[in-house]
Amino acid sequence: MSSKAIVVRDLIKRFPLRRQWAEMVRGPFRQEWTTVLDGVNLEIEQGKVFGLLGPNGAGKTTLLKILSTLLLPSEGQAFVNGYDVVSSSHRARQAVGYCLDSERSFYYRLSGIENLAFFAALNNLDSRSATSRIAEVLNILDLNGAADVPFMTYSKGMQQKLGLARALLTDPAVLLLDEPTKSLDPGAAAGWRRFLRETLVGKMGKTILLVTHSLEEARECCDQTAVIGQGRISFQGRWPEVDEFVRSHVFPGCSSAGVA
Amino acid sequence: MKKILAFLKRDFLIEVSYRFSFVFQLASVFLSVASYYFLARFIGRSFVPGLEPYGGDYFAFVLVGVALHEYLATSLDAFSRSIRESQVAGTLEALLSTQTSLPTIVFSSAAYPFLWTTFSVVLYFTLGIGVFGVPLAHGNWAGATLILMLAIVVFSGLGILSASFVMVFKRGSPLAWLLGGLSWLLGGVLYPVTVLPEWLQFVSLLLPITYAIEGMRAALLQAAPWSQLWQSLGPLLLFALVVLPLSLASFHYATRRTRITGTLAHY
Repeated sequence: MSSKAIVVRDLIKRFPLRRQWAEMVRGPFRQEWTTVLDGVNLEIEQGKVFGLLGPNGAGKTTLLKILSTLLLPSEGQAFVNGYDVVSSSHRARQAVGYCLDSERSFYYRLSGIENLAFFAALNNLDSRSATSRIAEVLNILDLNGAADVPFMTYSKGMQQKLGLARALLTDPAVLLLDEPTKSLDPGAAAGWRRFLRETLVGKMGKTILLVTHSLEEARECCDQTAVIGQGRISFQGRWPEVDEFVRSHVFPGCSSAGVA
Repeated sequence: MKKILAFLKRDFLIEVSYRFSFVFQLASVFLSVASYYFLARFIGRSFVPGLEPYGGDYFAFVLVGVALHEYLATSLDAFSRSIRESQVAGTLEALLSTQTSLPTIVFSSAAYPFLWTTFSVVLYFTLGIGVFGVPLAHGNWAGATLILMLAIVVFSGLGILSASFVMVFKRGSPLAWLLGGLSWLLGGVLYPVTVLPEWLQFVSLLLPITYAIEGMRAALLQAAPWSQLWQSLGPLLLFALVVLPLSLASFHYATRRTRITGTLAHY
């Protein structure tokens, strides 16, 4: 088993451009593409938090979707726990817990526990292991009190927590977190960051790829941070070099506590 | 099986959470049967030569036609609707991030609609035989079951083809529209295909529902022997051999294409 939890080599992702009716008539078989990831290289150590920082449309979520096997890369390779996300997609998916950025990824009329039981079955947990694992993750995330309440009544913070609870169901080695604190108030976000460092990494030994817009989050949580822009990794390093790079190259004039 | 049960439980819990809708769905089954019964009573007063080969009872005739059409409508709708609803609700990516393949997700998502249709059809027949006295009890039920299963396989193949279209183009599957409309018009649901003009009778031979309904009526209304049922089973088998591989290949293509284009969760 490789000591690297995630390896990305020369990864390129292109999406077809949506065409107007007139263009389709003029050239029905012509297809133009836009490059969203343009030769991305990354290596992430096991048991570390790796931040991916960048403006909207930089390609952060696309990279996460490729690592979670939702998207196919156009060129290059990506490995999770040593498994190729294309040729060994099933194994790669077993190693990953993907915490989506969408609060709509649950069934609104089902309770938290009914949602988790459904996703546990889809993740091949038998009913006995599912019951104990659901109780465990609800306990870890302090959601016991809301377990039987319909998801539609959850606050944003609780929705985010349930998203993470789902990602933890299979006890994956790698967690992909897409802006987990984006809808949280500052107090709840600070609690999240502590939980991420102390529990998920400190106690559970998870490797985390954290997509964020927040320099503060990158500073508090990440062992390493990469800055991505226009599909390329423009900088990779530790704090405070990341902060200096972002403020001088990406968002000149932005304070370190500000949101990138 | 465990995954199918998980989907059934999910859909059942969601359905019963909309309490009035669930009750109305149940009530509509009774209303449908009753309306066909009164239509049959009205027609029953006059002699209809076209019904003679089917025993002359229009209620029994239409009950079989409507039951088969329910399965066709469910097949054409359930697979594509499962994808469309997951896209719109935002749950599709969460489903695909699990260790369950997309074909399993789509098949399992259709389990509840099929179960509901089966429940409705059983209720149609129970009411028909028990309350309205339809003479079906002495039919060739084994033959009817085989025809039904084969018909469901063919209809599901068509439904998966339709789902492939929805996956790529998101809305408005022309296949579901065309097949649904033509089958209702030409498949012999409410009247025998012999009442159609000759050229339309030829078109009806291209529709799987025509053979399914004809075979089912022969089995249930005439207690036809297996040798006679092969006239329906044969073409249905042929349809299954063509439609099923085609639909699975098209679904595989559609899935791969949306993973390349990044439009899996678009709607």
